[in-house]
Amino acid sequence: MTASDQSVAPAGPRSRDQRRGGRHPGDLISQERRFGYLMIAPLLIVLLLITAYPLGYNIWNSFHKVDYLLPPLGAFAGFANYGKLFSDDQFVPALIHTLGFTVVSVSIETVIGLALAVALNKAFRGRGLVRAAVFIPWAVPTVVSAELWRTMFDPQQGFVNFILTKLHLPLASTTWLDSTWTAWAAILVADAWRNTPFIAIVLLAGLQIIPNDVYEAAKIDGANAWQTFRRITLPLLKPALMVALIFRTIQSFLIFDVVYIMTSGGPGTSTDVLAYLNWRAFFTLFDYGYGGAVSVALVVVALVIGGIYVRVFRVEQTA
Amino acid sequence: MKMWPTGQRRMALAVIAAGGIAALSLAACGSSAPSASAQVPASAKQTIVFATQGLGTEGTATAAAVKAFEKLHSNIHVTILSLSPTSDVAEQQLEHYFIGDSSTPDVVTTDVTWPSTFARSGWIANLASRHPDTSSFFAGQMATGEYKGGVYALPWFVNAEGLYYRTDLIKSPPKTEAQLVSDAKSAVAKDHSLKEGLAFEGAEYEGAVTAWQSFGAQIGLKDLSNIDTPANTAALTFMYDAIHTYKIAPSAVTGWEESNVQAAWLSGQTPFALNWPYIFQLSQSKGSNGKPAYPAVYNKTAWIPFPSATPQSSLGGDDLAINARSTHQAAAYEFIKFLTSVSTQDTRAIAAGDPPSVTAAYNSRLYTAAPYFKDEKAVYAVVTPRPVTPVYPSISSQFQTMISAVLSGEGTPSAELKATAPTVQQLFSTAGSS
Repeated sequence: MTASDQSVAPAGPRSRDQRRGGRHPGDLISQERRFGYLMIAPLLIVLLLITAYPLGYNIWNSFHKVDYLLPPLGAFAGFANYGKLFSDDQFVPALIHTLGFTVVSVSIETVIGLALAVALNKAFRGRGLVRAAVFIPWAVPTVVSAELWRTMFDPQQGFVNFILTKLHLPLASTTWLDSTWTAWAAILVADAWRNTPFIAIVLLAGLQIIPNDVYEAAKIDGANAWQTFRRITLPLLKPALMVALIFRTIQSFLIFDVVYIMTSGGPGTSTDVLAYLNWRAFFTLFDYGYGGAVSVALVVVALVIGGIYVRVFRVEQTA
Repeated sequence: MKMWPTGQRRMALAVIAAGGIAALSLAACGSSAPSASAQVPASAKQTIVFATQGLGTEGTATAAAVKAFEKLHSNIHVTILSLSPTSDVAEQQLEHYFIGDSSTPDVVTTDVTWPSTFARSGWIANLASRHPDTSSFFAGQMATGEYKGGVYALPWFVNAEGLYYRTDLIKSPPKTEAQLVSDAKSAVAKDHSLKEGLAFEGAEYEGAVTAWQSFGAQIGLKDLSNIDTPANTAALTFMYDAIHTYKIAPSAVTGWEESNVQAAWLSGQTPFALNWPYIFQLSQSKGSNGKPAYPAVYNKTAWIPFPSATPQSSLGGDDLAINARSTHQAAAYEFIKFLTSVSTQDTRAIAAGDPPSVTAAYNSRLYTAAPYFKDEKAVYAVVTPRPVTPVYPSISSQFQTMISAVLSGEGTPSAELKATAPTVQQLFSTAGSS
């Protein structure tokens, strides 16, 4: 319980003092600092090699003609690859699909995840078992779950149409992956099934560090369940909620596996998303210039999303 | 998300600089090319790497062929590099070796649609100077290995797409599309164990393109300046009608790949299925208990070209090529010569059901051991390659999107063809034909 005490206490000035070394600035401290850098140097170099170098190389590609299927390679192309993003009929629709999917999927998953977390935070018989059951989908690799859901939505052998038929519900003879909206519905279900538990885990952890005495005080003051949730749980859960939202939004924005396995971007190009377009540019067209431009655009949009969250988060903290 | 305090920035910059230098030196390593003079003669002791697909009986047949080759050439050792069984993935694996300037694998298996792409990029060697006997192969498949007057790949085995039908349900093979539709409808009406009248690959992938071609699309070899033709519209319309108008194919085929069609056929739920020759061998195969492995289709299988106005069969199959950066090109060519010899081809056909690419291999030895090859000949007689152009991957991607849009009813065949034609023409003209 000491950990939760610390996180509730204002941590700012004390920890800064500790970092600066308090009363004895001097040789010992700088020596220690140097040793620290020495310790993390190998890690930093590895990080630079596997992150900074490919990133730089990719940016270079995006400004050159690097179409491996149509050599010669390497001629300076200026902004031609970026121009292609807006002149071809692939990038803009894929961007719109991706943004739409991100907003819808993250909203649905957050609402369900929050409900799950609140429910699982209550004490009841067999809670351990239920918790484990809820978190299982998250332990399943995305590729496996996507394959699974593709089979579930199969109009002949699938479980979805089987159960709809048994219950005499409409849509029982739908070929789910064969038209735009039903294909999106199937993708959303598959994605939510796999990822809602993640949000639930993070939020459950957030709920557990809210001290009980706050609730007791609220009870004494006569707050009802909704007031308690609205005025205590939700505000204190905000940091955890932000973490879950940032992670899920970026992940959702980069959605690839589910689309690749369930629809290949189809029917036509109606479920095409940025990461899938990016993969196609690199691995079926081998146009590293165009692929590079798509990647850079992807990173820029992801950074903007991250930036918005960080800003909102900061405002929330200072408020 | 915290920035580094000012005092630590210098240190951080130093680390970044060190990383940058390391990265640059890595980049420098990557761009060195092997010199052409480093070729190892065929007589020297050496190891060559053979990149190929194939699991099960095909893999066993390849391993046996390698053993036989090593017995004949005791100085050459062959290592097999297994590529993904999924064709698109196997292509990507090879391209990564090529883009990385690797001198291995020395010999590569290539799908019939890849050689012109590989040749255009200078990844595979021109074999013309070695004077291969190109007339010994089926002409249609030989054309897939030729590019701008050079010979870049030699056919290994044929693969062709044709229409399977159940001889117990369909008394005489349909001669027209209309007849096929009525046969399929009446078969389904009579026999309630049938779930559909026709199964084919309609998922958004290469299989949909070969199906379109096997249904009669004229996208063969060298002219794609205008794909908006009556024949192409008719083939695309048939695919749409089969699902939505005649309702002989379930709408599920829009997500079906080869394996789904295979499952539908072998389980006996369809009287007609469009698929590749391996299905024939499977249909006639026996389990370890000596009983037919698939009783629903055993001895009830026949295979014909799809009965369109001008019947044709989409050509699949594999060619063999040599990595342009290989330092073992002489030994590699010896290996290819061995794999394309009549006796090696017969052995493989009997063991694994792979139809030989060499015409002389269709001899009494083959027919005695595997009589169904006689029945397959009608399909091989009308094989038609897909476009031979280095930009085939881009063109195919256009076709796949177009077919998917039509099958799902998002666009009519003629409108989709009209919309796709200019892009295909433009792609085609950027690379030119072979």
